Amino acid sequence: MTALSNIRIVELSGGVAGEYCGKLLSDFGAEVIKVEPPQGSPVRALPPFAGNDRGPDASALFAYLNTNKRSIVLDLESDGGRDALARLVARADVVIDDHAPGWLETVGINPDMVGASHPGLTLCTITPYGRTNAKADVPAEDLTLFHAGGWGYHTPGGVDPAKPPLKGAGRFIVSYEAGMEAALCVSAALFDQHRSGHGRVIDISKQRVMASRLDYVLAQMLVGDMDVTEARGAFDLGGPASIMPCADGFVYLWLSDTRMWWAMHDLMGKPDWMLEFPEDWLQKGCTPERVALSRQYFTQWLKTQNKHEVAAEGQKRGIMVVPINTAPDLMDSPQYQFRQFFTELDHPVVGSASYPTVPYRFSATPAVLAAPAPSLGQHSKAILDSVTQGAAQ
Amino acid sequence: MSDRSIPSYVPRGGPLQGVRVLELTKVWAGPFAGKLLAFLGAQVIRVESVESLDTTRSMTGKDWDNAPGWQAVNPEKLSVQIDIKKPDGRDLFLKLVKQADIVIENMRPGAMERLGLSYDALRQVKPDIICISMGMYGNEGPLAYQTGYAPLFAALGGVSALVGYEGEPPVGMNIRYGDSTSGTASAFAATVALNHRQRTGEGQFVDISFVEVLSTMISDTIMDYSVNGAIPACDGNRHSNMAPHGAYRCRDDAWIAIAIPSDAAWSALTVAMGDPALGEDATLATLERRQARCADLDARIGAWTADKDANELALALQALGVPAAKSFNSIELTTDADLWADDFYPAVTDLNGEPRTIVGPSWKMSSPAELTRGSPALGHDNDYVLGEILGYSVEERTALTEAGITC
Repeated sequence: MTALSNIRIVELSGGVAGEYCGKLLSDFGAEVIKVEPPQGSPVRALPPFAGNDRGPDASALFAYLNTNKRSIVLDLESDGGRDALARLVARADVVIDDHAPGWLETVGINPDMVGASHPGLTLCTITPYGRTNAKADVPAEDLTLFHAGGWGYHTPGGVDPAKPPLKGAGRFIVSYEAGMEAALCVSAALFDQHRSGHGRVIDISKQRVMASRLDYVLAQMLVGDMDVTEARGAFDLGGPASIMPCADGFVYLWLSDTRMWWAMHDLMGKPDWMLEFPEDWLQKGCTPERVALSRQYFTQWLKTQNKHEVAAEGQKRGIMVVPINTAPDLMDSPQYQFRQFFTELDHPVVGSASYPTVPYRFSATPAVLAAPAPSLGQHSKAILDSVTQGAAQ
Repeated sequence: MSDRSIPSYVPRGGPLQGVRVLELTKVWAGPFAGKLLAFLGAQVIRVESVESLDTTRSMTGKDWDNAPGWQAVNPEKLSVQIDIKKPDGRDLFLKLVKQADIVIENMRPGAMERLGLSYDALRQVKPDIICISMGMYGNEGPLAYQTGYAPLFAALGGVSALVGYEGEPPVGMNIRYGDSTSGTASAFAATVALNHRQRTGEGQFVDISFVEVLSTMISDTIMDYSVNGAIPACDGNRHSNMAPHGAYRCRDDAWIAIAIPSDAAWSALTVAMGDPALGEDATLATLERRQARCADLDARIGAWTADKDANELALALQALGVPAAKSFNSIELTTDADLWADDFYPAVTDLNGEPRTIVGPSWKMSSPAELTRGSPALGHDNDYVLGEILGYSVEERTALTEAGITC
């Protein structure tokens, strides 16, 4: 058994955030019943797809987000569908939803009443701005929330003011963050639910999740310990740290003190140009001119180096230098292999593929990707039968 | 001098009420995990010493209690001074472990073992202890010796490579991205382990890799490589399922983010632009066709937004059903009336007895944990931890202090 076996979750999610929340719990053994409309979760229509198949079971994104779950199709626009949902909810420990505010009410679940009607249930909603926020009904996507949450304006750091702010990495960074926050809250609520019998109603706002990730910076700005400005570089640290090209890709080099400066001097074969800098310049004389000049020299040298080798040599000398990894680097990483970050999973349509697992190794109850994502409605009959039997009893 | 009248223990409710966490962490990712657990109701005790201060306390000079970075990340926690590098300090720490549920640490791999505080050592005094070990690459493995800060996690995890302008080298996320994300994954892991212990009585050791945490923020990109061998190049603000999709300059160098997820939203945008002909242009009627002309459309939208007020424009687009938002600078982020109305910036009592605004939890929940106090002064809770939790008398505590173990 894994850590959350015996927990029953009804997942109504139709987006990446809610499905990721469900996945984080199902990979620890929670029984997650995914309720889908007849046409399937909208995520089933999102790329990447395996090959040319665009059917409801061909999305590798859906395959990733729904490992270990079971799928039931319910038409929640019908009385029968809503009745079946009510039965599922009645025996569930948790309900997860990421539809727009107001949708839950249309399928018979009122977040304001659920505490009274289902005291032993935890209901977690994930919405763009939060259910009670004045902007609750404002149309939003991950990009607009990346900007409303304070990251967009300040991405990338060290910005060229002529260029626009950039989205975050990939398509769903906001949704993954919000899904993880939701899973944290659900898991904490379950701990109390088990001892007290009382569930909780949890309201996750994607905007607030992103803003809360600014924690160290935002908290200091709130009280005037850091400058609050219109500068797009307001979060930046300065210094020569940056991504630099090398022979076979890019590295990230962080230098912040005299020790690292001399270690770099040693690594590079003791070049004369470094002796012309004051040795404590990183801490006491970090001028833009020196930053630019040092970057120029570093770049010249790094172009003769390979990213993994120079990182390994640098790290041995205590220099914070690492490769800019891409997906194949991750799959080849001896560290990822040692920790078994990837696992092979066979899916009837997506095929056999390496899946990213989880970033935490549990000694007693590791997360297990035991079953591939369900096909649309794969477990409808079995789940309906069990609900009907439950009702007959 | 801190306000000693601020009580150490106040029942605050919340789902983790009654859970005691010991924190041996530094900087941001580790302390953020503790902060989240404290926000969920756990009693989180930072075990500190003058000899080994958190850099967020020491980096701005001598006043380690009022250090801004420290105060930002440690509200609602307790602080006890124990020099765990001394043998008697180690023993004292183990006595505290016996009274705890979770130990969180983000020391270098091997450091806990060298201190005599390995998981096995902790388990000997508290068989069901949950040990949350956090590190850049995790606690063991061929690259575990490597260390770094958040931008290095992002570089190694595959995140940085994906952020950059089209046709240009990667520039990566903002340098601040990665610590709080890693802390959240760690806090989640701690609660999962708590659930298991509650049902079975079994504790465990949890080994977290920050680099892997960041990889999980781009899992779909990794899946695309796994399934199709795809390695994406930097693509600015492009999106495989939306077009247009980007940030556009407005008046006064403000920016607006606009994302068009559907043909209907596209049509609405063209209405707002006063260019319905654009909306009726059949060559732009589908996502694929708009993507093919993305650069052209971005230029047209940018020309249209250039003299507009970003906030007014965002409101107008939202009213038409178009996902749009003003790109918040730090002034807007700290003054947004809706965030304040949601109590996202609550006031607590700081260590000087004064009200202090903090960044509260992102979530709202029924029966939440109350937020009462700011980040602790060094050793503010020595008496509570040593006296009430461990039962040492005043004389014994004085002796511990004189031996240099407690402060």
